[in-house]
Amino acid sequence: MEIKGSVALVTGGGNGIGEAVVKHFARHGARVAVVDMVQKNIDRVVKDIKDLGGEAIGIQANVTSEADIARMIKGTVEAFGKLNIAVACAGIIRDGTMLSLDKETGKVSKKLGLDKWQAVIDTNLTGTFLTMRDAAEAMVNGGWEGLLVPISSVNKVGQVGQINYSSAKVADALMPKTIVGEFLMRGIRNIRCVAIAPGYTATPMLTGMNQDALKAILEDVHLGRLVAPEEIASIIGHCVENEALNATTIEITGGLCYPKGIAK
Amino acid sequence: MHSFSYNDMQFSVEKRDDRWDISYQLPNGSSALAGAGLFAGLQESEAAARALALIKTIFPVGIRSVGPDVTHPNTIGDLKIVGPDVTHPNFIYWNKDSVSCPKVL
Ligand SMILES: NC(=O)c1ccc[n+]([C@@H]2O[C@H](COP(=O)([O-])OP(=O)(O)OC[C@H]3O[C@@H](n4cnc5c(N)ncnc54)[C@H](O)[C@@H]3O)[C@@H](O)[C@H]2O)c1
Repeated sequence: MEIKGSVALVTGGGNGIGEAVVKHFARHGARVAVVDMVQKNIDRVVKDIKDLGGEAIGIQANVTSEADIARMIKGTVEAFGKLNIAVACAGIIRDGTMLSLDKETGKVSKKLGLDKWQAVIDTNLTGTFLTMRDAAEAMVNGGWEGLLVPISSVNKVGQVGQINYSSAKVADALMPKTIVGEFLMRGIRNIRCVAIAPGYTATPMLTGMNQDALKAILEDVHLGRLVAPEEIASIIGHCVENEALNATTIEITGGLCYPKGIAK
Repeated sequence: MHSFSYNDMQFSVEKRDDRWDISYQLPNGSSALAGAGLFAGLQESEAAARALALIKTIFPVGIRSVGPDVTHPNTIGDLKIVGPDVTHPNFIYWNKDSVSCPKVL
């Protein structure tokens, strides 16, 4: 599938990786729907795309809401007449260990709250599922060629302090296997699914963090720097164009290793 | 340029080359883009109709509570009672709306 002339919808398109992805698509001639929860970020990105000479609409939506998902798909098809690419970048972190102990007594002093668990599962897993499901529905019913892109993370391997995030991201990474298997079973041949699992990426979320902590992370990255959001966008662009890529999850980490050199 | 108001917001549909931009007014007076470079080749009336339909899909109508109108309180002694802001465009008078209400519950 060519990017030029296609229609792409990107959730979380108002910031970070999602913003880089919509701009990459717009630069290469796709028409794009920028979906995010934060209206002022949507407005900024749509204006940037206008300045690039591109075509875009902005849709404020919460990916955890089924009604919002239906609205963003309907709005995209209404504006551009079809939908070819759906990238689920909307994501959050709410870190904390499952248990915290009191240093003196050794007893449990705190448990990870259901609020932190549920918010991450709702956004990073349910939101991605709903985006993939309803985008696929539109592509099947419209008969359009399509690509579904869940965004996982290298921390799908199980990162301490992220039981909620890692649980959601490992599930996102498995989606292409199940989705494409079901497509084959149902005779749906026009849609592929490829997940992307980024390593530590230079988005506002990370560049704003404690610089010492960031330095420590970079010591374990073979590349010696954070991955750029544009590098993630470019691999997603390649997934659009290379139809042999299907039913898999691609890691892009710059060579992130465990301390002492085993690649993560 | 074509303008319309929807859900208490002001929108305008403006031609740029052979395409259309839809912008809307922000509460602080500046404007933002709801869409850019849309509806290639369409005439103004068609672009305006498409823009309205699109905006109705993208911006869902919410229920806005009206008032209270703190500038016009009813006073009983030094007690101030504030009612809804009847000058607000979203305020619906019962006498205007009653035809749509069922007479028998
Ligand atoms: N930055 C990294 O190092 C990194 C690494 C691996 C994976 N990821 C994943 O990549 C994706 C993008 O991350 P990022 O770093 O660009 O984050 P970011 O915080 O810069 O951007 C995320 C965007 O998602 C939006 N969003 C959050 N919740 C939403 C909701 N419920 N509905 C709609 N929009 C919502 C936010 O408003 C924001 O604009 C996430 O899924 C994240 O888990 C990021």
